[in-house]
Amino acid sequence: MSISLIKSLKLQNNRAWATDFTSQGNILAVASEDHKIKLVKITDPEKKQFKLLSVLDDTVHKKAVRSVAWRPHSFPPCLAAGSFDATVSIWSSVPGEFEGEDEEEELDNADEDMELLAIIEGHEHEIKGVSWSYDGMFLATCSRDKSVWIWETDEAGEDFECVSVLQEHSQDVKHVSWHPRKYLLASSSYDDTIRLWGEFDDDWECVAVLNGHEGTVWSSDFEKNTESPESIRLCSGSDDSTVRVWNYQGEDPDGQQEWVCESVLPKIHKRQIYSVSWSENGLISSTGSDGSLVVYKETQPGQWEILAKKELSHQINEVNEVKWISVDGKDLIVTSGDDGCVNIWNWTQ
Amino acid sequence: MSDFINESPDALDETQLPKRKEDANDQLLGSLGTSQALDRKKLLLKIDHSTHSPALQNVELLDKLLLLNSVPELTSDEESLDDGENEVDESNNHKINDIVASSQEDVELADPVDPQEIYDLTAHISDPEHPLSLGQLSIVNLEDIEVHDDGNPNHMAEIIIRITPTITHCSLATLIGLGIRVRLERAMPPRFRFTIILKKGTHSSENQVNKQLNDKERVAAACENEQLLGVVANMLSTCK
Repeated sequence: MSISLIKSLKLQNNRAWATDFTSQGNILAVASEDHKIKLVKITDPEKKQFKLLSVLDDTVHKKAVRSVAWRPHSFPPCLAAGSFDATVSIWSSVPGEFEGEDEEEELDNADEDMELLAIIEGHEHEIKGVSWSYDGMFLATCSRDKSVWIWETDEAGEDFECVSVLQEHSQDVKHVSWHPRKYLLASSSYDDTIRLWGEFDDDWECVAVLNGHEGTVWSSDFEKNTESPESIRLCSGSDDSTVRVWNYQGEDPDGQQEWVCESVLPKIHKRQIYSVSWSENGLISSTGSDGSLVVYKETQPGQWEILAKKELSHQINEVNEVKWISVDGKDLIVTSGDDGCVNIWNWTQ
Repeated sequence: MSDFINESPDALDETQLPKRKEDANDQLLGSLGTSQALDRKKLLLKIDHSTHSPALQNVELLDKLLLLNSVPELTSDEESLDDGENEVDESNNHKINDIVASSQEDVELADPVDPQEIYDLTAHISDPEHPLSLGQLSIVNLEDIEVHDDGNPNHMAEIIIRITPTITHCSLATLIGLGIRVRLERAMPPRFRFTIILKKGTHSSENQVNKQLNDKERVAAACENEQLLGVVANMLSTCK
């Protein structure tokens, strides 16, 4: 079992904050400090073939682009990007000439030319995270203004209506992530907690607060494939250098959920953990300020061990994000670093 | 009682600040630049015997400008399409990199960063509300700088600075901390991680300020705030 570097893509000198991958055309979108969004096509990872497709209109955002998210089940492909300039931009491929004929071909052509579809305003301060619900119906955004906003959109992704402004966090909200099959949202905050939000009669309410981390929670990710359909688990990474796994226990008649911290993963990071990712195959990986990229495996229920570790994965630089992606059935890891590089890692079980 | 409790704080005279015994080498190390730039400067110093020589200063300015403009062209990574020849190239590159790395190592190993160097970088930052420097006001103190550095350019190194605000509810503590962080991040190589915290018991909302000073995302956002950057630039304008 090992992590090996396939390719380090130096996209700019400024820090790369985050990425998101879509299998529609195998495109990786990259959010970076230079105010730009870049699209990289992963043609053939085995042969180390990657191509910078395009840089989206760089006059749209006036400050760093902090996060990007592809809208699921969207034809043509649609991308949301959150920026420190307090706006969210929505991008869509220009429908190609092949519309209605050959879907595959249309996608390949369309990806290369994405145009600004909408700008969403509302947050007071820097936007830190954007995330789409599993069906692409809702977009969640979070900000230094301590709030999480939930937006409902139409099929085209042109109109966004804010359906809820959630203000229970007492500090910056760093990150939002949706459950892969339910309308359940997790938000991570500078107030050291994670909050879970559920839908009640067209409104959204806090259904649980996860206390335990002793520092800013930077990110969280739900388990993708669970043993039983009722099981819900979430992993989280924090300033306190720990990764925790939380387990849903059930809910009371008022819809309030009970969660417990089921495990604290083996402590290996020396500094802040900025990002965690749960793979389709049940592995968790984490990264952060110490530059280490770590993969953990659950050996027995609730028991985790370290499978592999790559120190200084972006040399002496901090790493801001880790993400598992699946390219044509192959598991890869993508990391974004302060060195302006996006590194693509091979994972061999 | 006056609103300005902090009107006339105790201040040290510039000459009382802790210093290293001056020699030309020390003056060289304070400035940013590549190893080639450093060598060039050493060479010029041999000729001129003075750090104030106009030739040296011009070359240094040029080096700094070059650093600013070193953003690479966006490449589409096409070269990764060919494999055979490329691999040969890459292995050659590795050798060159190894040589560069080992020569840098020698330079740095001979002289890892010490607290005095960090002190010299930060002590001359101006206080945002007094016409005095952080060193003169004893906000930055040599004995409160902790350095964990093995001198190896391929390793991460950590620097911990404990600052002492002039009064326990100083509202400018975060700004001072930000100034120190910006100064160090600009002047030191990227392998250094900085932890800037208030000295224990010196501030009424210690934890809050500490958390903010070391939150990477907040610092990054602050560095895109023109107004704030202007204030910081003023504070740093007195640095040597």
